Amino acid sequence: MAEKKSAKPKKSKVGLLSSIFAVVIGLLVGFIILLICNPAQAVPGFLTILTGSFTHGMRGVGQIFYYATPIILTGLSVGFAFKTGLFNIGAPGQFMVGSLGAVAIGIACEGLGPVHWLIALLGGMAMGAVWGAVPGILKAHFNVNEVISSIMMNYIGMYMTNWTVKSSTVLFNTLRNESKNVAVTANLPKAGLDVLFPGSSVNSGFIIAVVAVILIWVLLYKTKLGYELQACGFNRFASKYAGINEKRNIMMAMVIAGALSGLAGAIVMLAGSGSHITVKDVIASEGFTGIAVALLGLSHPFGVLFAGMFIAYLTAGGFYLQLFQFSTEIIDIIVAVIIYFSAFALFVKLLIDKLSKKKEISKEGGEK
Amino acid sequence: MQVIIFIVQQTMYFSIPLLIVALGAMFAERSGIINIAMEGIMIMGAFTGILFLNLTGNSMSGQLQLIIAIIISVVTGMVFSLFHAYASINMKADQTISGTALNMFAPAFAIFVARVIQGVQQVQFTNTFRTDVPVLKDIPVLGPMFFQGAYITTYLGIIILIVSTVVLYRTRFGLRLRSCGENPHAADAAGINVYKMQYAGTLISGALAGLGGLVFVVPTSVNFNADVAGYGFLAIAVLIFGQWHPIKIFGASLFFGVMKAISASYSGIPFLAGLGIPSYFYKMFPYIVTLVVLIFTSKNSQAPKAEGKPFDKGQR
Amino acid sequence: MENISETKDNYVVEMLNITKIFPGIIANDDVTIRLRKGEILALLGENGAGKSTLMSVLFGLYQPEKGVIKVRGKEVKINGPLDANALGIGMVHQHFKLVENFTVLQNIVLGLETTKNGFLKMDDARKKVLELSEKYNLRIDPDSKIEDITVGQQQRVEILKMLYRDNEIMIFDEPTAVLTPQEIDELMAIMKNLIKEGKSILFITHKLNEIKAVADRCAVLRRGKYIGTIDVADTSKEEMSEMMVGRKVELTVEKKPANPGKTILEVEGLTVEAGLKGHKKHVVDNVSFKVRAGEIVCIAGIDGNGQTELISAISGIGPMHSGHISINGEDMTHKSIRYKNTHGLSHIPEDRQKYGLVLDYDLAYNTVLQQYFEPQFSKGMFLNTDAIYSYSDELIKNYDIRSGEGSATLTRSMSGGNQQKVIVARENTRPHDILLAVQPTRGLDVGAIEYIHKELIKERDGGKAILLVSLELDEVRNLADRILVIYEGKIVAELDPDKVSNQDIGLYMSGSKHQDVIGEGEDAPSGVMAVKKGGED
Repeated sequence: MAEKKSAKPKKSKVGLLSSIFAVVIGLLVGFIILLICNPAQAVPGFLTILTGSFTHGMRGVGQIFYYATPIILTGLSVGFAFKTGLFNIGAPGQFMVGSLGAVAIGIACEGLGPVHWLIALLGGMAMGAVWGAVPGILKAHFNVNEVISSIMMNYIGMYMTNWTVKSSTVLFNTLRNESKNVAVTANLPKAGLDVLFPGSSVNSGFIIAVVAVILIWVLLYKTKLGYELQACGFNRFASKYAGINEKRNIMMAMVIAGALSGLAGAIVMLAGSGSHITVKDVIASEGFTGIAVALLGLSHPFGVLFAGMFIAYLTAGGFYLQLFQFSTEIIDIIVAVIIYFSAFALFVKLLIDKLSKKKEISKEGGEK
Repeated sequence: MQVIIFIVQQTMYFSIPLLIVALGAMFAERSGIINIAMEGIMIMGAFTGILFLNLTGNSMSGQLQLIIAIIISVVTGMVFSLFHAYASINMKADQTISGTALNMFAPAFAIFVARVIQGVQQVQFTNTFRTDVPVLKDIPVLGPMFFQGAYITTYLGIIILIVSTVVLYRTRFGLRLRSCGENPHAADAAGINVYKMQYAGTLISGALAGLGGLVFVVPTSVNFNADVAGYGFLAIAVLIFGQWHPIKIFGASLFFGVMKAISASYSGIPFLAGLGIPSYFYKMFPYIVTLVVLIFTSKNSQAPKAEGKPFDKGQR
Repeated sequence: MENISETKDNYVVEMLNITKIFPGIIANDDVTIRLRKGEILALLGENGAGKSTLMSVLFGLYQPEKGVIKVRGKEVKINGPLDANALGIGMVHQHFKLVENFTVLQNIVLGLETTKNGFLKMDDARKKVLELSEKYNLRIDPDSKIEDITVGQQQRVEILKMLYRDNEIMIFDEPTAVLTPQEIDELMAIMKNLIKEGKSILFITHKLNEIKAVADRCAVLRRGKYIGTIDVADTSKEEMSEMMVGRKVELTVEKKPANPGKTILEVEGLTVEAGLKGHKKHVVDNVSFKVRAGEIVCIAGIDGNGQTELISAISGIGPMHSGHISINGEDMTHKSIRYKNTHGLSHIPEDRQKYGLVLDYDLAYNTVLQQYFEPQFSKGMFLNTDAIYSYSDELIKNYDIRSGEGSATLTRSMSGGNQQKVIVARENTRPHDILLAVQPTRGLDVGAIEYIHKELIKERDGGKAILLVSLELDEVRNLADRILVIYEGKIVAELDPDKVSNQDIGLYMSGSKHQDVIGEGEDAPSGVMAVKKGGED
């Protein structure tokens, strides 16, 4: 029985190969850019990207987990939506309003005691869920393309967050033009990770992210709701034929996706490592990185977990690039190239088919 | 009076780049390609154009310098949009994903290269481009509003609007382009090379987005920091608000521009300051209105019917 | 030398010994047709006879494996629509190639625009179009938008497109499928007009009345093979019908006489309107019938006569504008798809890949598409995967479904026949009283067809009601206990398969014959029952 349940090897193999293809090209382009800018430093610089994150031992590893946490969650948000046939480009907006929800509760609701951080997290998730629900409702009931409405929601979310923070004397730190520190009770517990990875900022947020990955995996692959959500994503005609309520599923999927991105924002703000809502009119990059993570992880929850860690690992290594007078943006360039080429999945599939066909033909020829 | 003139000028600074970029997005979508990379292309165009201004400094006259910068921005935008065209048309890739990748690439690239060249990521430039239009500047009211201390880019934007409208509706190219966005199979059956038209549409969108990036940064800033403040996305909102029609896009960009101008300068205007509406409201308003418009137009949208779907000659 | 002799015969198009092979099927097997100048040559054949493939070869969309095409006596190689156009060959596709939000005039000139100083110059084009529409009596407003005019008018635009390009040879691919009777009459007149002006027409159809009305000669294809060409004036409809469908029934399944029980499905006055702008056509027109337990009722007809819409309305995946549906005496008219699914309805859909399966799910998940939420397959909010997989294993065994990795096989990777077996297994096994089976054997090989036929008869003998929709006459004859013939959205006849000849069914299906009693839907259902009883006597 157990063997039969193992997922489809053929399909995931092609997917894995196209991800590897994208990563290799991405790294190659990064290397070429380093080479053009400064040929002498290109090789050590490139090696630093790959090894930099381990320079400081366990502390470095802890930092990878810390950086990975929000992008795993936004990646999970985007990937989950992909699985249900939706493109949640609204992750940045959901991330920002999630931050706002967590910060507001984290500052204003002191006195909740030991559950303070939990309430703040849930507040962030709820805000994200609301932000995801809007494009969901518009898509289900008015057939509005979720990509366009999500982009609008990103800007509305960004301005609303900044507006709320700036206009509130409780939340706003005028001197630094950002939100105040959250109460100590609202900081996420370290859960022993500070002992394991001394000196790093990693905290229980990473554990929460891993739990979220597992929960989403269970939801998608083990529950009735997951069955319906994926059926709608794969083939909405067959879903209709099967009597599945597509509208409800679209809204449900967007609410869950929004909550995940909101959770990401909340975890960043409650990490107790100096993150604040800065009042700048800039869209949160964690949301867009989530798209890259989802694509690279083939939208599968565990794939997203690894992809998030991989990009965090590159980012952590990228910091040490400054030693070679390269700026850290090279990592963003590499990630962008990876996304670009991961859109070529179809091409890679054809390539693989062609190669395997050639093999077969040559085999047949040989036999003859 | 001074206040009105000020607001009108401010509105132009915000509206014209929106108009140019939205018209660019219109050409892409009319050919069947959704280009959400407008933001990234604007950044690339602005970056190379401003970098040119920075490097040439005061070595030539302001207007000549600006014209060369415009050409550089346009070419940059076209080259950068080729990546989107290749992925969307040849590779039949998901157009949203390809666009997202370009949007991520552009700011990182601009910062990285700026740092390599000059150490810091902000690219400074001196603004010597304001000019008075002879004769017209002396017209009462309109003179100070439109022809004193103006940028040639404003007039360029209006020219692009007129040319776009004529090209789209009065030329063979426009007819063929529109047919590709609506029903590429019909175009194909009529002997039109759909791939070629889609390349043309995407390249025009790149050219105009590159130009729009420069046009946005020059009047509103003194340095470029790998950022065009979401104008690429706002332009897509303008495009939808204007229902893919050049004249309506002009109207939409004026509306969005007015909102931006008010949010940027309302505190200096006694009448608006008195209303007590915070600037963030004006900043959010265009996006909210676009959402509402989407709700009412989605049932009967004028969006090109085949946009975003890769055209496959084989599928008949 | 050859050229001279050919021009004497005055053939404008000759397709000689054309063979076109697709993987697994010979679409055209040594087919030869010749079109004379100034004639209408009808190309007659059932669905899948190879007509469209042959015309696609002529239009350059496919390259034949064998054979020669000659145009005006010269051997030519046609690589695409542009080549065909240069040879003066034009085609009205079954699905029009028009830009919806363009005007008539813009659609006509598209690809062949005249310009002056770079600007479009529509005046000359308008003049030419107006002249052409005058000359050929194709009245149309050149400035209307396509989306605002009727389908009949859109077809005129397609004809004008050919005339504007000076095409001398015109292919009409099933042009009447989308038209109302009045529009069909108009089209026939237009075609005659075109011939008068020296054009030559290839007319693809399976409606015998239309052939009788306009065609000079008729070439018949059956299952990819060329049967013959006849002069229409000298040949009766019965003879043509026989040529089209053949005499022989190749597959026969042993079948006991039916033993119908109580009424399971009752359809009353069902009407579906087409959603076309400026054009209201009843694609299903006031249809009433009953299906009883233990019988197979077959809806026979040529593709596009409303079968799809009728079944969609009954199952709930498509709209229904008036009428009533009941199952087991319970009114189901306004019930949800899920309610019907769980209250007696099973459905083998027409398009198995679009509706019948989630191709990216494995076989096991597809076997519970309508049942995953039932207590049998779930525990609370979770799926009971063990139960699902063992259920699926059972179906695989019972229905001999072949798949690489058993229940865990991705359905996308399975063969068409086995995909269909999954659907048949699922729909037969889950609790139901009425089974809708729409073209259940389409595109399958002989072995799979036989298997599915046997399963359907087993179902019937087990006391289920079956409503079968089929385009294949053989299948209809094999399985049906009663035949309802559908034509232009109406049930035009109710026939007893043991007492009716193939030719007769062909005549009903092509609209050449109809029973009056059935046509008057107002009297149904009692009228229908009366006829049915009469048929049984």
